[in-house]
Amino acid sequence: MEQAQTMEFPYKHSTGQTVGRFLAGLKEQKQIWGQRVAGLGVVVPPPGYSEVDGSEPGEWVAVKDTGVVTAVAVVRDPVDKLHPFSTPFAYILVRLDGADTAMAHVVKDDIHAVKVGSRVAAVWAPDEARVGSMRDIAHFRLVP
Amino acid sequence: MSSLRNVAIVGFAQLPVVARDLHRTSPEMLYPVVRQALADCGVERDAIDFQIAGSVDYMDGRPFGFVAALDVMGSWPPRLDLHLEMDASFCAYYAWLRMQAGDCDTAIVVGHGKTSEGDPRRVLNLQLDPYYQAPMGLDPVSTAALQASAYMARSGVSDRDLASVAAANRTAGARNPENQLHTAATPDELLKTPWAVEPLRSGYLPPVGETATCMVLAAEGKAESMCDRPVWIQGVDHRTELQTIGARDLTQSASARLAAEQALAMAGLQTASEVDVVELFALTPAEELILCDALGLDAQAARPVRNPSGGPLCGYPIMSTGAIRMAEIFRQLSGRAGARAVPGARRAIAHATQGHCLQHNIIWVLGTDRRWA
Amino acid sequence: MANEPPRDPVKYVETHVYLPYHYVAGDSRAGYLRALKDKKILGSKCSKTGKVFVPPVVNSPESFAPADELVEVADRGIVTTFCVVRIPVTGRDLQLPYVAASVALDGASVSIFAPIQECAPDAVRMGMRVEAVWKADGEREGSHEDILYFRPTGEPDAPQDSYIHRL
Repeated sequence: MEQAQTMEFPYKHSTGQTVGRFLAGLKEQKQIWGQRVAGLGVVVPPPGYSEVDGSEPGEWVAVKDTGVVTAVAVVRDPVDKLHPFSTPFAYILVRLDGADTAMAHVVKDDIHAVKVGSRVAAVWAPDEARVGSMRDIAHFRLVP
Repeated sequence: MSSLRNVAIVGFAQLPVVARDLHRTSPEMLYPVVRQALADCGVERDAIDFQIAGSVDYMDGRPFGFVAALDVMGSWPPRLDLHLEMDASFCAYYAWLRMQAGDCDTAIVVGHGKTSEGDPRRVLNLQLDPYYQAPMGLDPVSTAALQASAYMARSGVSDRDLASVAAANRTAGARNPENQLHTAATPDELLKTPWAVEPLRSGYLPPVGETATCMVLAAEGKAESMCDRPVWIQGVDHRTELQTIGARDLTQSASARLAAEQALAMAGLQTASEVDVVELFALTPAEELILCDALGLDAQAARPVRNPSGGPLCGYPIMSTGAIRMAEIFRQLSGRAGARAVPGARRAIAHATQGHCLQHNIIWVLGTDRRWA
Repeated sequence: MANEPPRDPVKYVETHVYLPYHYVAGDSRAGYLRALKDKKILGSKCSKTGKVFVPPVVNSPESFAPADELVEVADRGIVTTFCVVRIPVTGRDLQLPYVAASVALDGASVSIFAPIQECAPDAVRMGMRVEAVWKADGEREGSHEDILYFRPTGEPDAPQDSYIHRL
């Protein structure tokens, strides 16, 4: 005897001065911001504190929306209602130009050509589609 | 290093790891295992001072679902008890700490959970922060693949190298009747399996499986009457890393390295290669190689023998995989390892991990002899 | 170009957590549910103390001994404790107010939860004798909902010492 049951919860996670302003930067400025913190340098995206020693962050630093891939994982069979695409795509870690840490995001096209060391550039969602979330960057694309 | 209390693993019971138990709920799987472990030690439940369980409510689909296991652990009269949303190998650390504090002399450490009932990929996505990482839909297979990708780019390790590591686990695992996967496989066979999340093939990843486990720990003075050959804890340490995976160097495991240094120092050893057997909780062959680097082990060397159990590739039950690594060492060092025994084994390391990309690691150093006089 | 991101933060990140589960009832619970279709309520008996647990369990949580022996208990019993619910609960569609009670069935050592109906809420009391009202033959499916509710039988109340240890 078995039973299927699905649990669904909507959540509204409160942001704060750092996360909330970073997301506002994506939405309103099409600008990716990092923060300089102890032990890590310029962190993108910024949590609002140093993950190394818990200290307060330093200044905001604007980084470019281009960068270098440091890891790539090609998803052949996307998981429904979890993964951002329903057709094969790649997760990447990308160290944006000006950042000292890598950001997790996705590549939608040329997924088998993306390698560690590839250069990628952000493809932004159109103005009316940006809401203040990581998906305001729709995906990254390989830069030839 | 000041003297600590000698504590031993004196018993362990488990069900064989299966894809899905159709006849029992999670607590119902646990009950016979607790009874068996106590019976093997020749004690009644009242002889146990402390109980601790590892399980994850999110996989059970019930907030506070873990309390159901209290009914099968002999929780009356009221017991000293704890639950962690962690693998039972971390629960064992807590029990060990309580013994060092003198709060208890004996403990049962259980692991339970039916991985087949939930979806580990969705559940473990929720381990990531809800602002930046979880919204991207990252799941543990994808993050493990990202780590494998970074490691392979830095080290030059190839797909075939991963297949060889996986095949070695499968070959060893064929001798272990507790495993879910108990057929050997060659590197060529595994190389033909389709990509799960590239660079990880499905043949490098364990199937979803479940079991229930119960470990019995006892301090010196009690251990000797509970087990013919207690396996003594000589050193232990655990360390955790940053939450943001992009802020870490995924090509190394700094926390496993530090935990190993500290645990080995506690045990009075210089290097991990001084032990005879190592059981690693590596979800993928890339993790196994990263952990070898962290422990200072030569991945190609025949000694110490690595994962004679077949490792997590052959059986990956949620919340018990780390406890089983300790159990396998208990079996190896107490003459209970049957066809998979490593002859003459006297000292060993058991490792466990939690979180994405080896975020949190614990290293146990275990041996046939007491560490402190 | 600005020196800092916008002053006003985006206030929330919205997440829709989606978690599908696929449960196994286990033989013990499955047997209990199936028996309801035949208007039978099963419990199991502790091999050490003889206490009867409803629904059946594999072991007594109290004695730690196995409790494999199945026994049938009556579909009538005693209200041991209760409450009157006057506020709506998400996901429940019961007319307010309603009575949620613990009922110790004749033969059982512990109570089960049950709604009480065909009775004014302020007339429900500890010790009140009740009986199950089942779904009609042909409508029962082997589920908790096969018992619609419990109603008073009109018999004299049970003495307190007959139920006070079966709350």
